[in-house]
Amino acid sequence: MRKALLVLVWAAAALWAQEAQTVQSPPTPQTRVAGSGYVGSTTCKTCHPDIWLNFYKNPHYKSIASGKEPPERTGCEGCHGPGKEHVDAHGGKRTIPHAFSLMAPGEIVNDCLGCHARDLSKANIRRSVHTAADVVCTSCHSIHKAQAPRFLLARVQRELCYQCHATVRAEFEMPVKHRVNEGVMECTDCHNPHGTFASTWRTGSSGKMVDQTAGGEEPCLGCHEDKRGPFVYEHPAVRVDGCETCHAPHGSTNAKLLRRPVVYTLCLGCHNGAGTFGLTSSGVILQSPAHNLLQPRFQNCTLCHVRIHGSDADPTFLR
Amino acid sequence: MRYILISMLLLRALSAQEPVAPTSGEPVGEARGENAGDYNIVQSWELGYRYALVGGDAQKYESDVNFGNGLRLLSSFLTVNSRNGAGKWFDEIVLTTQGLGNDPYESAVLRIQKNRLYRYDMHWRENAYFDPGLATAEGLHLQNLTDRIQDHDLTLFPGRHIQFKAGFSANSEDGPALSTANLFEGELGDVFTLFSNVKRRYRTYRVGADFDFFGMRLSVLRRWEFFDDYTPYGAGPQTGLNPTDITTLGSFNRIEPLRGTFPGWLVNLAVERRRFMVNGRFSYAEGRGNFILDESAVGTGLAGTENRLVFAAGTGERPVGTGDLNVSYFPTGRITITNSFSASDSRVSGNNYYEELDLANLTSSLVNFQFLGMRLLTNSTDLHFHVSRNLDLFAGFRYADRQIRSIESTSPAGVPFSNTLYTQYDRVHAGVAGLNWRIIEPLRLHLSTEIGRNDNPFFPVSEKNYQALDGRLEFRRSSVTASAGYKEYYNNNPVALSSYNSHSRTYFANASWAARSWLALDGSYTRLHLDSAGGIAFFAAAPVSTLESGESIYISNIHAVNAGVRISAGKRADFYVGYALTRDTGDGRAGLEPTGTVNALLYNVQTYPLTYESPLARISVPISKKIRWNAGYQYYGYHEVFGLYSILQNYRAHTGYTSVLWTF
Repeated sequence: MRKALLVLVWAAAALWAQEAQTVQSPPTPQTRVAGSGYVGSTTCKTCHPDIWLNFYKNPHYKSIASGKEPPERTGCEGCHGPGKEHVDAHGGKRTIPHAFSLMAPGEIVNDCLGCHARDLSKANIRRSVHTAADVVCTSCHSIHKAQAPRFLLARVQRELCYQCHATVRAEFEMPVKHRVNEGVMECTDCHNPHGTFASTWRTGSSGKMVDQTAGGEEPCLGCHEDKRGPFVYEHPAVRVDGCETCHAPHGSTNAKLLRRPVVYTLCLGCHNGAGTFGLTSSGVILQSPAHNLLQPRFQNCTLCHVRIHGSDADPTFLR
Repeated sequence: MRYILISMLLLRALSAQEPVAPTSGEPVGEARGENAGDYNIVQSWELGYRYALVGGDAQKYESDVNFGNGLRLLSSFLTVNSRNGAGKWFDEIVLTTQGLGNDPYESAVLRIQKNRLYRYDMHWRENAYFDPGLATAEGLHLQNLTDRIQDHDLTLFPGRHIQFKAGFSANSEDGPALSTANLFEGELGDVFTLFSNVKRRYRTYRVGADFDFFGMRLSVLRRWEFFDDYTPYGAGPQTGLNPTDITTLGSFNRIEPLRGTFPGWLVNLAVERRRFMVNGRFSYAEGRGNFILDESAVGTGLAGTENRLVFAAGTGERPVGTGDLNVSYFPTGRITITNSFSASDSRVSGNNYYEELDLANLTSSLVNFQFLGMRLLTNSTDLHFHVSRNLDLFAGFRYADRQIRSIESTSPAGVPFSNTLYTQYDRVHAGVAGLNWRIIEPLRLHLSTEIGRNDNPFFPVSEKNYQALDGRLEFRRSSVTASAGYKEYYNNNPVALSSYNSHSRTYFANASWAARSWLALDGSYTRLHLDSAGGIAFFAAAPVSTLESGESIYISNIHAVNAGVRISAGKRADFYVGYALTRDTGDGRAGLEPTGTVNALLYNVQTYPLTYESPLARISVPISKKIRWNAGYQYYGYHEVFGLYSILQNYRAHTGYTSVLWTF
């Protein structure tokens, strides 16, 4: 019954939209609006045919195509403001109310958010590390000269990110890495460059704009779902401080992106029984005396503790 | 003109880091593609043959690079756009693909949309994952898997103030793999190799809607996720990892079907006014997995013939709830104050009934229960002050309060649980500050720092007293961009034995220069230095293990270089030459200690020097107005100095491709 209702709602919405589309008048470039300072995109086209020529491929063109938007939200003037002064002055950047190359970073953010503020993906843009560092919309997006068709990116996504994050580029060129340079992954698979909600899996230093899954979990688990559980026995390191406790997420010289080349140094870093750490505040449990580390088989903890991310059957992750 | 455009497309391809680039730019002021009715069509298809000649450790090559021989559609690109924004069925189609047919990394991205009616997005990826498992299990955890990830999202725009969304995602993981099991008499037993055939499936369905009302936007998303894992394990007669002991395996079988769900809600309310912006989010997901494990092992142990059955069944549950409220206030045009509050609660609980039956000796039945609960409250306040056109300042304060509760209980069947609850808290106070300073028009300086204190970190390697510094100087002119920077991170978590501290310093410099219309150069150098030290304790020594302690040190000194030159020889050809290097020089030691001593256990794992380099060259030659011939060569060289367990995984690989690009 619920499924049927859902299908009905979808169908009604689609029909409604189709109806609206068929009665819509053919799109025409916006004409001059007397007395408002808005001159219409046709006027802009006169001197900027180069920009106009391919603008029909731009997502912002739909404001012109619709023919229904008010002048302040249509075409060129939707972003750049009323063009009368610019036209009367026969050009000049400084006569454009919103010339982005002359605007302060904060002003650019404000302008773009005029339309894009309410998207969930941009909910944290005001407090994002990028905004704080004056990395704003036009730092990555190019409305007129986009190199990547999706999202009007000024360059291919990873190259954009590498412009500032040269160290990350170095990490992705290491022998063991996530396949970003190979093109099968993108930075935005894990990060939201517009800012993210507070992490749920760790405390400590500010998050690196690491996005969350829809369930509020670490983005690693979006692809590595076999590590996600829920398990009867969770390895607390995964849940409490996150995957980065043991793994370097971008790239590493160590297998499986581990923070150490040899497993036992990684495990024993926590499992040393010291201090007030761990679930019982009495130190993270020390290994068994029967584990003679001089024997090679005990140097690879995961040789026996195969389900180290979590297990349903065994509290020590043996099966 | 088309000739120029094709050249631009190819130049774009040559400039990319991957062997061929799937995307192309949309030039300003140049008409592209063919007009068909009210639509404009641009497309390119690159069909090619890739080869690889590998010497040395082929498994390590497969793990790192994995390109093989064969014919494939290296890339394709298609756009169809309505020229008046009012197409009958669609206004835009964008399709890009990469590596289809034979590459280890394949992807396709599709968008179809009709303005103000619908938008459909698809992202499909396939990744051939190979891992020899040397570091984690001496090669006994080899995996040769295929991961497929696909996302489909449809958005309907029935009106200006409402959107409907529906989506479907499917991930799967398949392929052969090895695993291991420790069998018979616990640590006195032996480790045996298991063969498995990985079969995992994850599917997510989602529907939602966005509503705009009174200047607010309400987004609601409901999703249902289903997952299952039917990976079986089996093994035949073996002597085990230690062939000198008496433990042997006759046969082994394990099935452990797992099925579960992860349904959830996501609600978001956003409003932006002239002076403030408010954004609230709530999400809830309740995961639940039901499993059965049935295992049988027959062999020989210390006690003679072993015939052991294990049965376990139970349920794992994890409800996760999060709530966030962000408020930004703009008292003047120069100042932004943002406060963000977040609360999350995660409760991991699971129980199982575990029965172990040794047909020769005894039966053991246990009922287990485990609970791990985390409640995290965070609050941050940030101030951003636009002092002048050339200077911005920012500062912030962060606070986090976390409660962690746990129960671990095991009882024989029929005996009540002990259910001892452990609770602990930790609080983090941290401050951040920084500036963005445009020193002169093309020169910018960014500085930021963070200092934090955690009063009760959960692990010895967790952040306790930490500080971070980030500085970057950037120069941008139309044809030149250059930047240099320094990052430092230091964490000290001292206790009696552990006294863990980690210190990383990163230096980088990069520059790009479009020297001429036919010549472009770019290069970068990065040095990543990491040294960390922590106390560890372990049992070692012969004949009887004794408790040993020592300092576990790890030193990594990585020098990374990336350089590239693009040359366009008029209409005759385009060239790209590049070089990438990763070299870990370690701590400069000449050799390792002989194994078998406690000191060697600590000394021989402190550093892991290696070199990984990859020079490449590509050429693209126009054959006709619509066809180009491309060829490329890339060398991969991997060289370890010491190797893990005295095993060197070094390899040399000569790879290349030749292709024909058809653009029309």
